[in-house]
Amino acid sequence: MENPFQETLFQRNRAEPCTVVIFGATGDLTHRKLIPAFYNIAACGDLPPQFKVVGFARRDKPDEVFRSELEAANRKHSRQGHNDELWATFAQGIHYHRSEFQDLEGYKSLKVLLDQYDQERGTPANRLFYLASAPEFFEPIMQLLREAGLNEGAEGKWARVVCEKPFGKDLASARKLNDTVNATFDESDTYRIDHYLGKETAQNIMVLRFANALFEPNWNNRYIDHVQITCAENLGMEGGRGGYYDTAGALRDMVQNHLFQLLSLVAMEPPTDLSADSVRDEKVKVIRALRPLIGPEAVAQNVIRAQYRAGSVDGVQRVGYREEDRVNPESKTECYVALRLMIDTWRWQGVPFYIRVGKQLPKKATEISVHFKKPPQVPFATSKLLLNSENTLVIRIQPDEGIALRILCKQPGQALSMQQVKMDFHYSSSFGNASPEAYERLLLDAMAGDATLFARRDEVENAWKFIDEIQKAWHKSDAPPPMCEYPAGSWGPVEADNLLSADGREWRLL
Amino acid sequence: MPTATADPAEEAFAQLGMEVPLAQVDKELKKLWEADNAKTRASLINFAIYSEEIANLGRNNALLDGITAQHACRALMILSRPTQGQPRARAWINALCRPYQGQQTVCCEQISFLLDGGDAAQVQNIVFAHLDSDLPLVVWWQGTLTRNFEERLSSRIATLIVDSATWANPCAEIDVLTDAREHSGEKLDIRDLSWTRSHFVRLALAACFQDQVACASLPRVEEITIRHAKGHRVAALLLGAWVAQRLGGVLDESLPGFQFRRKTAGPDISVTLEEMADGHALQSLSLNGKDMTAVISRDANSPYVHVCGSCGDHRQDEIFPADVESETELISEQLSRAGGTTLYSSMLPTLRKMVGKSGCA
Repeated sequence: MENPFQETLFQRNRAEPCTVVIFGATGDLTHRKLIPAFYNIAACGDLPPQFKVVGFARRDKPDEVFRSELEAANRKHSRQGHNDELWATFAQGIHYHRSEFQDLEGYKSLKVLLDQYDQERGTPANRLFYLASAPEFFEPIMQLLREAGLNEGAEGKWARVVCEKPFGKDLASARKLNDTVNATFDESDTYRIDHYLGKETAQNIMVLRFANALFEPNWNNRYIDHVQITCAENLGMEGGRGGYYDTAGALRDMVQNHLFQLLSLVAMEPPTDLSADSVRDEKVKVIRALRPLIGPEAVAQNVIRAQYRAGSVDGVQRVGYREEDRVNPESKTECYVALRLMIDTWRWQGVPFYIRVGKQLPKKATEISVHFKKPPQVPFATSKLLLNSENTLVIRIQPDEGIALRILCKQPGQALSMQQVKMDFHYSSSFGNASPEAYERLLLDAMAGDATLFARRDEVENAWKFIDEIQKAWHKSDAPPPMCEYPAGSWGPVEADNLLSADGREWRLL
Repeated sequence: MPTATADPAEEAFAQLGMEVPLAQVDKELKKLWEADNAKTRASLINFAIYSEEIANLGRNNALLDGITAQHACRALMILSRPTQGQPRARAWINALCRPYQGQQTVCCEQISFLLDGGDAAQVQNIVFAHLDSDLPLVVWWQGTLTRNFEERLSSRIATLIVDSATWANPCAEIDVLTDAREHSGEKLDIRDLSWTRSHFVRLALAACFQDQVACASLPRVEEITIRHAKGHRVAALLLGAWVAQRLGGVLDESLPGFQFRRKTAGPDISVTLEEMADGHALQSLSLNGKDMTAVISRDANSPYVHVCGSCGDHRQDEIFPADVESETELISEQLSRAGGTTLYSSMLPTLRKMVGKSGCA
């Protein structure tokens, strides 16, 4: 029987009653993001009834200790603050299960525990397994979930898995990981999380494009000159992150996932409907249509990699990348990368997409800027500088989420001179600061069975296929493209500027 | 400048900002922004409060301050005194500002009008002349829908907010709303704060029956009991009607009280209201039937409701956010909800019948 009260109340899919098992429950992600996200979902009244979280980790600790650690974390990180009354009820559903990730017995006892919860509830529940552990444990976890029979829901119920990035480190490892995951869970029950897709502004890209008749007719190579996607960070390797980062690099850590997701949203064709697969079908077409960069020469012409040397950011002196904590002093890992990408489709023929991402840049900002072509002829006498300026649509992903449009206007006065002006929309000044955290949206979607904002297997593998060619040119060719340098606190290496200036363009000033 | 008269409310007008000649409102607003470059004007809607009660002036002024902190809008506050002598209008402007990212200030414009001795045309002219163009008009009409609420005005309103808890004669008000909606070709989006007061109770009820065992017990529901505070009878009636209708019930006017006959097999459903002298607007909702019960109750001073249900051996006990109660929060809740809702409007015919059974004034 359908719940008759649900139908008229909700504008979105409702999360279904379930138990969430978090692997790596004592880690930073659980404390800073996952538990505060579940708590805030509860505070909004969106958490399904009889919800439970089971933390699965190696250290020994009773439920009470686990709960009090999470409570302390929630007080610190919860978006809507912390209420003791709500926490008391919410925490009743939090449990801890100690086990090694590679110990089958631990999974068998987990099954007993989950069955016991189901019995107490009087109904078998759905199960969501969240892999927040280190990636090297993904494979044994999958295998043992399967062996313990936890990968299938009880009759009429579901079992799903949420995977945190990285989804492999190249195409081969991604395929292996995906094979392992798909041997345990159906692809339709697999949710690869990319928190960029949970951000309001990323979701707004589709609304901006497909709900406004103003933009979509101009969204092609007839009117758009080029697109830039920038993800700048003003931090380096603080907090010991150098250890992981030095094995990954900017291309794998950011471009393969987050920035390709943004690129897909900007460049995709309109989906036929808003079902998860319709949207993801269109996104994957973009990645598949990326013109491959084969060989060191093509990579050198289109991709710039760099490391920062010592400099200062926000007036604070910073060491060079190779001097950072836990970074190999002879590291060949890039912490800055700039790419010129071409998408071989009818819509985007001849339109370059420039992507740059880097550490120790002057400020933290992620944005997409769409640069429109200049008018064929401007009948006003004005400076060459202004004649060269184009209309630009900027979509700010973070921080200060919003949209800005730069246009030319007549400057007041007797003369007919022009001036650039900016129309600027800020989410927070118009809508307040009530946006849910990306994880709240994504966890709700996973519990509701909506995979639209999650990466599908073919998206991930096609992205790796493209990235692998660049990695091959950098690390396996006889004449690898050079590793460039830039001072910390600058906007990247001069070679990245040259990448655009060779095309008669320049990076947008952020 | 208009000449000030010895109005007893003059002191209250002083808090409305700077008085300006009616014809100079736009010009003076422009000056307001030019005076300070650090201020950014933000506006997504035109939000108007209409009242005919001078006593509401201070309260509405404070409300707008709270509402604009959450919702960027051009705020229009209209105080109409139709019986107050010769037609005359006065205007005040103000900027309602809040800090934004440390350096800037984001502000909304507030324009307040005092309309004495006028009619519907005067209200319309004032409203239409001072809208932020291209933005939708949301009107919170406080109290009775008087003769000033007429078709030319309602046809321009995108969303009309009313509070049926303040109606002396709900039958007449529902009739006015039904007519206005009919005239608008069903386009007028009507929101009632009494309906908003039960939003989270309804969410909690829906969540309670997400569980399949609980859901399977719904055809056995025979009694719906709602406990409400004095003055919130309409909120309770709306809630009772909604629950009964969702269970497939149709009000049988021939029977005493509020009896709903199911369209499908199952027992009739009776809706009973229990009025308390004070406390939260809606204090509990109980569904009872053979071998099942579900109670959603709110303790005094708690921001949460407790959901307690049992079906045979199956029990559940949950906590959910409770409904907001202050007018600022209720309005904010409405303005946060994008898109129109036809649910309330579809409930009006049943509500009218239930109100009618209690006797119309």
